[in-house]
Amino acid sequence: MDRRNFLKQVAVFSSGILLAEPVFRITPDLLAAEAVAPILSIGTGKNYTSLVSSVLQPLGGMAAFVKPGDHVVIKPNIGWDRRPEQAANTHPEIVRAVVELAIMAGAKTVQVFDRTCNEERRCYVNSGIKPALDAMDSRKVQCNYIDERKFIPVTIEKGKSINKWSFYKDALQADCYINIPVAKHHGLARLTLGMKNTMGVIGGNRGKIHGNMGQNLADLNTVIRANLTIIDATRILLRNGPQGGSLKDVKVLDTVLASPDPVAADAYATTLFGLKPDEIDSTRAAAEMGLGEMDLNKMDIRTV
Amino acid sequence: MATQITLRTCRKLSQVLFLFLFLLLFRLTDYSGLDEIPYAVNIFFRWDPLVAATVLLATKTFISLLLPSLVIIALTVVFGRVFCGWICPMGTLLDGAGKVIHPSLQPNRLLRLVKYILLAVILTSSLFGLQLVGFFDPFSILIRGMTVGVDPVFNLLVSGFFDPIYRYAPQWLSNLSEPIYTALRDSVLPHRQSFFLLSTLSTSILIAVVALEKLGKRFWCRNLCPLGALLAIFSRFSLFRRFPGRSCKECQHCAPSCRMGAFDPTSRHIRHEECNLCMDCVDNCVNQPSRFRFLLPDNRLQIDISRRAFIGAGLAGMALPLLSQVNAGDRLPRPTLLRPPGADAEEFFSKCVRCGECMKVCIQNALQPCFMESGYEGMFTPRLIPRIGYCELNCTLCGQVCPTGAIHNLSHSEKKAFVIGRAVFDKARCLPFADNSPCIVCEEHCPTHDKAIKFEEVTVVKQNGESIDLRQPYVIPELCIGCGICENKCPLPGHSAVRVLSTSTTSGDEEYGYGAYNEKDNLQKRSMS
Repeated sequence: MDRRNFLKQVAVFSSGILLAEPVFRITPDLLAAEAVAPILSIGTGKNYTSLVSSVLQPLGGMAAFVKPGDHVVIKPNIGWDRRPEQAANTHPEIVRAVVELAIMAGAKTVQVFDRTCNEERRCYVNSGIKPALDAMDSRKVQCNYIDERKFIPVTIEKGKSINKWSFYKDALQADCYINIPVAKHHGLARLTLGMKNTMGVIGGNRGKIHGNMGQNLADLNTVIRANLTIIDATRILLRNGPQGGSLKDVKVLDTVLASPDPVAADAYATTLFGLKPDEIDSTRAAAEMGLGEMDLNKMDIRTV
Repeated sequence: MATQITLRTCRKLSQVLFLFLFLLLFRLTDYSGLDEIPYAVNIFFRWDPLVAATVLLATKTFISLLLPSLVIIALTVVFGRVFCGWICPMGTLLDGAGKVIHPSLQPNRLLRLVKYILLAVILTSSLFGLQLVGFFDPFSILIRGMTVGVDPVFNLLVSGFFDPIYRYAPQWLSNLSEPIYTALRDSVLPHRQSFFLLSTLSTSILIAVVALEKLGKRFWCRNLCPLGALLAIFSRFSLFRRFPGRSCKECQHCAPSCRMGAFDPTSRHIRHEECNLCMDCVDNCVNQPSRFRFLLPDNRLQIDISRRAFIGAGLAGMALPLLSQVNAGDRLPRPTLLRPPGADAEEFFSKCVRCGECMKVCIQNALQPCFMESGYEGMFTPRLIPRIGYCELNCTLCGQVCPTGAIHNLSHSEKKAFVIGRAVFDKARCLPFADNSPCIVCEEHCPTHDKAIKFEEVTVVKQNGESIDLRQPYVIPELCIGCGICENKCPLPGHSAVRVLSTSTTSGDEEYGYGAYNEKDNLQKRSMS
């Protein structure tokens, strides 16, 4: 299924004419795309705004992902009522830099949202993300709270563990979906990276996802196919994740990495914690489903 | 004539302004993006002399939060019950309702003494530690009714109008309706739909007060309002009075239409303590220029209740606190009855005026009114129900809006250390124990640092012989503050497999859960560290 087809289904569904649910399956063209070595770019720097921009250069810049007139969704982690330095949420400067690049590339609208774990207003404000985006004062940028009405049920045809879940309409309809998780520790998943960040655009009782988390996350990521994953490792949470709370658990790396391949991005980010990619269940499950490359040796890694 | 019209117009203007202020403060009783609410959203309680008097009597301590009540007393001593006529939003609401439901009967004037009896009972009860003011104080009734019923229903109605358009109407129509809905949500609507226990009961009391208007103008204010009674007593000494002090013979203009029924039908004298200075009689006067001016207090009529009856009512009222003290319910453990963070360990019941401000401001909808869980005495006091909403770690709003200090205004560090209760696992239901399946959603959400919920990595053999690595959660009691996020987020249907239980004890030396524990000591200890 291509995007056009999918949009048609979503449009038809949401207009209420046909009570069919969008269906997602992994198509052969997706598997074929694997042949090319996925490119991954990584960089270090103190100025996060220019860091994001230079990390994207080897990938062709933001213009390779965002086309003029696109409706772009940028999905940071805004899950917790924590301050930026506590490393529980994506750094506001990173979010703002990505939003600015998307607008410069010609995006018509840029939506930034997350279904938070703590109270949403506290998370949006104290993460620094809403203030940073409000300060841009651009009509194109929408940093709105989740609207419960926008969760629509989706059949996950090739889901190995879950075959139905509700997803956020705006995330499904985006012309370009950019996932910008923060890299951090997580009790159950060990690490939360790009795959796990997708939980912020799903509805329902998310605690149930934890039952078979690795496979469940991979299944969810067959629906939400990030065009670009930018992992914020400017500071990473080593313990007491996913929300931390003490700077003692935070390590400053000033690092950002990006890849159009969500599995490659997660796999590489795992090494920043001294772990191997296959130690993260969701990375392994996603690679097995053909969602991307987890073998570091098969990636085209560019350091900027 | 022009000045006379202005007076009544001024009164109406003042009523509308204060009603608007009241509604504005009600809406501002919410998280604003700042950790501190920058407005005195609870001012209507803090200047309420009845609240101040009962809290003072009940706690035997002076509470500086309630100082503004002196302003209202001073105002009353000079101008009489101008508060009832010009300021009180409940009075304004009743005046407005009267215009719609047309009061029919002239009520029995004897009923007026009921408010004094209520006042006497409330005051003596509070002296003996039983706080009843919340059942009768007009602002408690009003704000509680609005918080628990009116506001959620208002949101339900508005969203019930716009949601179907959004879901089912053609795109062009929802393109028109959604901007209106968004504008409403940004201004008059609450941030989220809230849900409350006792929504019907709380709001019915408010509705009843309004419905009583059918029996006579300002029925509540004349006959029942204990705050009105208190102000009436003060206004016996006030200096700003109607002149002349009686209605004119043969003239039927002012006395029959007086909204407070302040004129005595036989002697025609005005009962000054009943007058709320609405200025209608000044404006309606046709014969003689009646007006208000400064006069020495000269009360031709006795107050509606004799001193003996007032004291008698007070003494009879002592029965209530005594009966409460022999209520066996207080000797039972109430393990699931959790109080808000910062709840005064000893004087919570004496201080809480059941105003509902804490429930209004709670950003997780976690604070709910009690029904009979702690006796009728505790009805409408706030309790925290984690399965409905948990206590947000960095939030201190309930303590900020509490007008009497029943919930302490905690600093951030005090709040993070304040123990609401302690989490206890039910291993018979918890998934990694009972079902051998991975979960630890509780551990993920546990907000304390270090985490109060940790896990043990175990390998268990399932029934089918397959072995599985599991993380089984456990609580470290010393770290748990009982915020309840674990209970709230537990993915099990129905009851959570981890529940927060109260740590406070009923008799002090009894042990419950993790042992004897004194909240007040704890608060002091933690705040010092």
